[in-house]
Amino acid sequence: MNARETAWRLFAGELNSSSASVRGDEEMSPTYVVTRLGAMVNRVMVAGVLTEKENIGSEDEPLWRGRIQDVGGSFFINVGKFQPEAASAIAELEVPAFVAVVGKVKTYTADDGRVFVSVRPETIVQVQEDVRRQWILSAARSLWDRLIRMKKAIAANSTSEKDLAAAGFSPDEAKGIDLALNRYGMPDSSPYVKTIQDALRMLLPGSVIDFGFPEDVGSSPDEIEIDPEQSAADRQDMEDTILRIITELDTDGRGAPRDEVERRAEAEGISAAELEEISDILMDNGMVYEPDLKRLKRIDY
Amino acid sequence: MNEQELTPHFEELKRVLKDKVDDEKIMGELKKYVNEFHITPQAAIRGILRKFGALEESPFRSSSSLIKKIGELNGTEASVDMLVRAIYVEKKDITVKGSPKTIISGLIGDETGTASFTVWEGKDAEMEKGSVYWFRSAYSKMWNEKIQINIGARGSVEKADGMRVDVPDRSISMESSEAKIGQIAGGMGNVTVTGRIISAEERNVTVKGEPKTVYSGIIADDTGKIQYSAWNDFGLKEGETVRIKNAYIRSWKGIPQLNMGDRCEVSRVDDTFGNDIADTVTTKKIGDIVRTGGGLDINVVGTVVDMRRGSGLIERCPECNRSIINGECQAHGRVEPVMDLRMKLTLDDGTGAVSAIINRELTESLTGVTLGMAEGLAKARGSMEPVERELAKTMLIRRLSLTGNVMSDDYGPMMIVRAAEVVKEDVTAEAEKLLSEVEASL
Repeated sequence: MNARETAWRLFAGELNSSSASVRGDEEMSPTYVVTRLGAMVNRVMVAGVLTEKENIGSEDEPLWRGRIQDVGGSFFINVGKFQPEAASAIAELEVPAFVAVVGKVKTYTADDGRVFVSVRPETIVQVQEDVRRQWILSAARSLWDRLIRMKKAIAANSTSEKDLAAAGFSPDEAKGIDLALNRYGMPDSSPYVKTIQDALRMLLPGSVIDFGFPEDVGSSPDEIEIDPEQSAADRQDMEDTILRIITELDTDGRGAPRDEVERRAEAEGISAAELEEISDILMDNGMVYEPDLKRLKRIDY
Repeated sequence: MNEQELTPHFEELKRVLKDKVDDEKIMGELKKYVNEFHITPQAAIRGILRKFGALEESPFRSSSSLIKKIGELNGTEASVDMLVRAIYVEKKDITVKGSPKTIISGLIGDETGTASFTVWEGKDAEMEKGSVYWFRSAYSKMWNEKIQINIGARGSVEKADGMRVDVPDRSISMESSEAKIGQIAGGMGNVTVTGRIISAEERNVTVKGEPKTVYSGIIADDTGKIQYSAWNDFGLKEGETVRIKNAYIRSWKGIPQLNMGDRCEVSRVDDTFGNDIADTVTTKKIGDIVRTGGGLDINVVGTVVDMRRGSGLIERCPECNRSIINGECQAHGRVEPVMDLRMKLTLDDGTGAVSAIINRELTESLTGVTLGMAEGLAKARGSMEPVERELAKTMLIRRLSLTGNVMSDDYGPMMIVRAAEVVKEDVTAEAEKLLSEVEASL
């Protein structure tokens, strides 16, 4: 099935400390970033404060970078010309501003092997503070649920995907936890509980909330620099995805219906504008052709 | 050749076909090939084995076509042949992209298991419960971790006369389990439910030229409601409370339905549901809907994360109400379009995403943008696009509670929304709840 990917509400700290990614089981599955608590994240929804923005591209071909602060960490966002609506929205925003973003997560590996996570917004809008408060609550709730589940999983005899599924974890939860424990080992819960403490302090300013942590637990990740060339790698990714979709949808040998390619591409976070550009490139390169106006077909060698 | 001369060849065929084809049939085929068509017994054996699908090598078939058992399917086959028995068959008229279509769907089985199937070009095809068929060039898909078999334009269904397929009983008749209606999901098999009949109707239909009556309606308990249907008259009346044993669940477009077959038993029971279950709405996490399919009168709460294309001001054909582009209807040609307003939203609650179709009335009340205003805006700007942007501006990242019927297809669940409102969460109260939960467990 190609249901649209869930937009996870999770704090920057958990997302940015992830380095593992995995492709789903099914042929059409997208790539997921796996967090230390076992969330398998392809898309996120974030609400916070846009504290910085910078266009490192040109006026005609903008490449915006920005930083959105949540409670204790920052999301790094990248908006290029393939997201025209998000690009014009970020161009018009004045920092600082409360913003909400829905976007795909991307990982980048630096020369020294460190992995950085950024978000490529599909939608970015200015919001009121209540949206941010609501988001902090959902992110805290979701983080707490993951901590509890992780605790339960570790207490179980076996943390293999199969045994966890048999013990009542949903298929995605079982898979995520199994992967996380294999890649990262046992997680240290204190930075996460501290994040929840900070979130609740922000939501309940009148209450005394102290879970007993030294105030300096937790660290925010390094600044990330993303080369403009990165967009070339992005495009390669998209070309592969589109080819995969066309092959998969060509069930009767007559080519893949364009509208279905479009729907599926959208589900994988590739906009109509991107699809058009990519399919032009693929046609120029002799990878696909149009048997008629409504279809795209892969050329086999 | 006489029968005695044919016997060694018959024995050879029988060794391979004994579980599949009657002896009489084998001999009959052999005589036909050898005596009527005058070919050598060796060539006849090859031909007969191929005819019954028992020849391993396949020089005539393209390399992608192969024979598999249901248990061997992995959900990605693009072209596969299979010999199956029809366990349950239903012919239906549906509408695909605005055009009427006849399909056949149901359940097929072989020695290794059962699977649901759909024949998409079913207009001229006939299938009967209990008969054995060759499914040629079928393709398979995985849905909710279950295999589905499809016959598209390229495939065909052929009656396999004289072939025998044994379907183990256990895969057809599973133990009937007690279920709450709100928890029913596609693929559950046999269930027993207790609920009140909310509506009951009889419809006369024609099946293979014979008039038949379908008894259908809606049954509800305190957790949800579900559509039921039966070929037999169980005498169900609106308002009475019944226990339905041994009904089985089939999904249509992801919506589970309660089918009351021959083995179904109905008994009248005391009603313990109280007054208002006719208004039962099941509130669900979107992630659960993504996993299990759709249902009737489902409520979800989430954030609007996307407004999809096709939202805003649209043109409809005055004849058929289809949405059309540039005054051109695919069925009625050039028409004077009727303007309409709608939204296609994606609602996401952090556990999953559902797409939601919102009609004009609800769009107007949610956004404050009326059809008249939208038309004015489009006229002033010379394009309908600004309307979509205007609606997106008011709806994106809004928290909505949506209620309606949910269907599912390959792209996930879709709700036809019948009630919608903007909701605010009491963040302070919920934060306090979370705080006490965390404190209690530290």
